Amino acid sequence: MKPMRRRTLSLLGLLGLPTAFLLFFFFCPLIIMAVYSFLTPGLYGGVEWTFFDLNYGRILGWADTKYERFDPVYLEIFLRSLRLAALTVLTSLIVSYPTAFWISRMTPARRTFAIFLVTLPFFVSLIVRLFAWVLILRPTGFLNQGLMGIGATSEPIEFLYTDFAVIVGMTYVFIPFMFLPLYASIEKLDVDQLEASSDLGATRFQTFRKVILPATLPGIVGGSVLTFIPALGNFIVPSVLGGAKVVMIGNLIEQQFLSARNWPFGSALAMMVMAAVLLLLLLQLRLVKGRGEAL
Amino acid sequence: MRLSRLLTVYGIAFFVFVYAPILLVVLFSFNANPVNMMIWDGFTLDWYRLIFGMETEVTKSSTYVDSTPQLYAAVRTSLIVALSTTAISTLFGTALALAVARYRFRLAGLYRALLLVPMIMPDIVLGIALLIFFITIGMNLSVLTIIVGQCTFLISYVFVTVSARLAQLDSSIEEASADLGASPLQTFRKVTLPTIAPGVFGGALLAFIISMDDLVITYFIAGAGRTTLPIHIWGMLRRGIKPEINAIATLMLLFTIAVASIGLYIRSRRK
Repeated sequence: MKPMRRRTLSLLGLLGLPTAFLLFFFFCPLIIMAVYSFLTPGLYGGVEWTFFDLNYGRILGWADTKYERFDPVYLEIFLRSLRLAALTVLTSLIVSYPTAFWISRMTPARRTFAIFLVTLPFFVSLIVRLFAWVLILRPTGFLNQGLMGIGATSEPIEFLYTDFAVIVGMTYVFIPFMFLPLYASIEKLDVDQLEASSDLGATRFQTFRKVILPATLPGIVGGSVLTFIPALGNFIVPSVLGGAKVVMIGNLIEQQFLSARNWPFGSALAMMVMAAVLLLLLLQLRLVKGRGEAL
Repeated sequence: MRLSRLLTVYGIAFFVFVYAPILLVVLFSFNANPVNMMIWDGFTLDWYRLIFGMETEVTKSSTYVDSTPQLYAAVRTSLIVALSTTAISTLFGTALALAVARYRFRLAGLYRALLLVPMIMPDIVLGIALLIFFITIGMNLSVLTIIVGQCTFLISYVFVTVSARLAQLDSSIEEASADLGASPLQTFRKVTLPTIAPGVFGGALLAFIISMDDLVITYFIAGAGRTTLPIHIWGMLRRGIKPEINAIATLMLLFTIAVASIGLYIRSRRK
């Protein structure tokens, strides 16, 4: 029995501390946040430990008291965040898919280098990358100077602080999240199958729709989920490139914590983001699983 | 044929999109024009002089406010945090990866799934959850809370990197080592550790870079007056675009590339 006991001991030795650490500092905080979303906000920023469902009521519609009132603006911001995140996914997909296809056709050595080049910016500081876009999109920025230089516009166009700027910024910073899963599934494409499809008389579009698209669907779904999640709750990109004009749910949560000091309400908003993320992951599981069974 | 040429053009445009903004920042960090950064007005190193505390045209102006001490403090905090989080998360992440890969225990699958959660969790959610938690248990916000907070998700990155390495390896060498009479500790030191070292090193590097760059989670749990480098730059951005940000950004870029190159160099040597 001795080696067995020693095995158990060394397993516990490996698992013990990290498990305790994560339980205490990762899962506990999330549970407390969930509890907080059902607590009564105190008058001066504190919290009272009594049950309260109006944090959600303010967002979803049943709050109708003097202090806590339903305001459709929260749902609007939530929907806008969903929309901007979805548009970011779409742009990332359009930007990455053909490129991933292109790279998958290179020689192995070039391919490795190209993948390295795609991932490298991911390691460049986020705030630096966003700053670059401020320089480009400002009224006196690179883009406007270019447009005015070629005479496309006489007045600078306000690119900064628009939905456009936020979508471009989020696409830019999350590109590796979309690109890598996409590339992984495109690289696995069976060239013989593509040739067979065209030999059998399929047009390029038909081949794409009937062969390529279904085969790369797991990559599309995976990349979309990985892009959508950080885009949905993001508040750095909208605060740098969207200013006060493009407020996303992340900005709203930040406000509740750092200026409005209504932590229970902020927690409720964060729970909404969590719920959306969870729903999305379940959807992905179903989409990819269903696909796997069909094949 | 035409389609493949189109793809090439598209691919090149993609890389321009990815790299042009970064190169622009580097280029304009040498621009002498103090008023409009986007108009080239000759080469200068003034912005670099400025952040290293040397005298320049700008510092002579009476309206100039020296913010280099804050910048240095932020860099120092960032380095302290990144080195500590890298050490802790590498240790914990590697231990978890070893346990899950080498011991067949009932909860291994659960561990593997749950350890992905911190990476998927939107960072603002984790940031506020940690803030509420620290305040609730009465822990004052400080460098310590930043380190603890960042470790909660960095462990997962190390875990995934080391697990990937372990998956490529054969556990039979370890069994052979045990059969030949090596103690578990000897097996670990002489067999397991050398083989997983590249994975551990890669995980540590990843943790270090992500920690240096973390903005959202740190922002919520840093407490008043404590800033890391990304938070400091963000603050500068909000107060207005200043040319020296280009220079700081370029230096950060160089630093990241240096760290990443060291990683790649060591990895290629191992192969």
